[in-house]
Amino acid sequence: MATVTVRPLPIEEPVLATSGRLAELWTVIRRKPLGAASAVLIAAIVVTAIFADVLAPYDPLEARPEIRLARPSADHPFGTDDIGRDVLSRVIHGARISLWVGLLAVGIGTIAGMVIGLVCGYWEGRIDLMLQRLMDALMAIPGLVLALAIVSVLRPNTTNAMVAIAIVIIPGNARIVRGAVLSAKQNRYVEAAQAMGCRHLRILARHILPNVTAPILIIASIWLGNAILIEASLSFLGLGTQPPTPSWGLMLSSTGRAFMEQAPWLAIFPGLAISLAVLGFNLFGDTLRDAWDPRLRGSR
Amino acid sequence: MYKYAIRRLLLAVPVLLLSSLIVFGLMRVMPGDALTALMAESGNVGERELQKLRGELGLDRPYHEQYLIWLWQMVRFDPGYSIFTNEPIAVALKKAVPVTVELAVLAMILGLAIAIPMGVLSATRQDTTSDYIGRVVAVSGLSLPDFWLGTLVITFAAIWFRWIPPLGYASLWDSPWTNLQQFLLPAAVLGYRLSAATMRMTRSTVLEVLREDYVRTAWAKGLGGRMVVYKHALKNALIPVVTIVGGQLGTLLAGTVIVETIFALPGMGRLTVEAILFRDYPVVQTNVMLVAGTLVTLNLLVDLTYAWLDPRIHYR
Repeated sequence: MATVTVRPLPIEEPVLATSGRLAELWTVIRRKPLGAASAVLIAAIVVTAIFADVLAPYDPLEARPEIRLARPSADHPFGTDDIGRDVLSRVIHGARISLWVGLLAVGIGTIAGMVIGLVCGYWEGRIDLMLQRLMDALMAIPGLVLALAIVSVLRPNTTNAMVAIAIVIIPGNARIVRGAVLSAKQNRYVEAAQAMGCRHLRILARHILPNVTAPILIIASIWLGNAILIEASLSFLGLGTQPPTPSWGLMLSSTGRAFMEQAPWLAIFPGLAISLAVLGFNLFGDTLRDAWDPRLRGSR
Repeated sequence: MYKYAIRRLLLAVPVLLLSSLIVFGLMRVMPGDALTALMAESGNVGERELQKLRGELGLDRPYHEQYLIWLWQMVRFDPGYSIFTNEPIAVALKKAVPVTVELAVLAMILGLAIAIPMGVLSATRQDTTSDYIGRVVAVSGLSLPDFWLGTLVITFAAIWFRWIPPLGYASLWDSPWTNLQQFLLPAAVLGYRLSAATMRMTRSTVLEVLREDYVRTAWAKGLGGRMVVYKHALKNALIPVVTIVGGQLGTLLAGTVIVETIFALPGMGRLTVEAILFRDYPVVQTNVMLVAGTLVTLNLLVDLTYAWLDPRIHYR
């Protein structure tokens, strides 16, 4: 007797649950050495930032003029600066500032961008038109100039640098989320949920948001690197973190440049720290993309 | 296509108006004004004289009047005078714009000259040593801060080669050789950073295109490798690359504050930042609007380039 095999109807690929996402990420990290390296790098920076007090051999603010501009040695592996502060301890504490600024700025910028993108993409119409023009207007102003102007309004310090970076981040995020929402809305299950009379908020949270989180997290990871760079740039221009707080950008601009020829270690180590942190987040962003971008699935 | 271009330009009007409002607003809510900054420089001046100066500069009028006056100036392309230097803004721009444009064009050329061939090489030899080298170079380019790279380049050029860029800005027309010496290093620093993003994009789009049927057909027809890669694959891979390059050119034209500061080049970035610090409202506002206008035009040009790169794209 012939058996009839029933072929299942093609169904739309279900949205990956969070555990599925982590599993995908884990697979990519295990297979790609660069992915693993970036994860390790980020973990190292996070640990450094959290345990800065324990890890730093000296007080980052303690000046000892008698050993000013000392070369790197066993006692001071990264040397000392122009008033005898230990550069290693300052770089270690700098991780805290950079990470803090990066996480908060990107957090605020991402959440605000997400809300605007969700509203624009879901409701479209007049509110979309207006908000999108506002985003365009913000994007038409050069990022660093906008950040500088905002910091000047709010007075230069670390917190305000964070707010400024967050505002610079919003428009790009809003645009990406809007695009993702517009395409997620085309899915049948969204139509079904609307037909069943689900409330908008429920549809947004349960059916659309999960589609949008992957691009958001990928972009956020890359933005983290950029936020660290912008904070360093603002501090470099004297409008971010204020002395004597150890910020990588500030260390580079204040003492690093002034004593570059006599004591190149003052510029080399903070710069290296910035580069490594940004590198870590960039590579991690790539790893997330490899793991979660549907277009790249199967290509690894 | 003309209709499309005109419609886009019309759509840009509200965006530019909003940008102008944002900048105007930000400048007015900043603590302190241009006169306090000016007075800090020149010493003791009485409150009455300050008021008189404010009146002359129109700073005592209500904000909406100041805004409308400024808007009318922008429409007439007559930005007026800098509060701080008392120089016509048009003159200041005439000095700063060529510096920025030269730096941008040089950086762009250097960046593309590295990025496109390396991106193609990386893609055509995927997972070989040259691919890995290319990708590492690209990711490090994205991660090295330009102020760090700039500082290191200047210092080590001085220590190792006993060479420092000639001081005092020289224009390209007056003394081309001095000018080139001043611009080559900063352009190389900027170009290296730019090439990173472009290279990564070129690599990934060329990889995608190389798997397309028509490329396989081209190979099957027996076309040479260079012909297939550059004529068939690259042109079609370029659309996302053009988007990135357009954005980069926009950023460059806005002025690269930090590189200009490190290499002491009097470009748009420095002009704008100094104007922000001195609360020189008209200069900041004019510069930002100039850049915003350039960005909007560039975005339009980028979109129009798509149609040239991919004949399937039509604008109506």
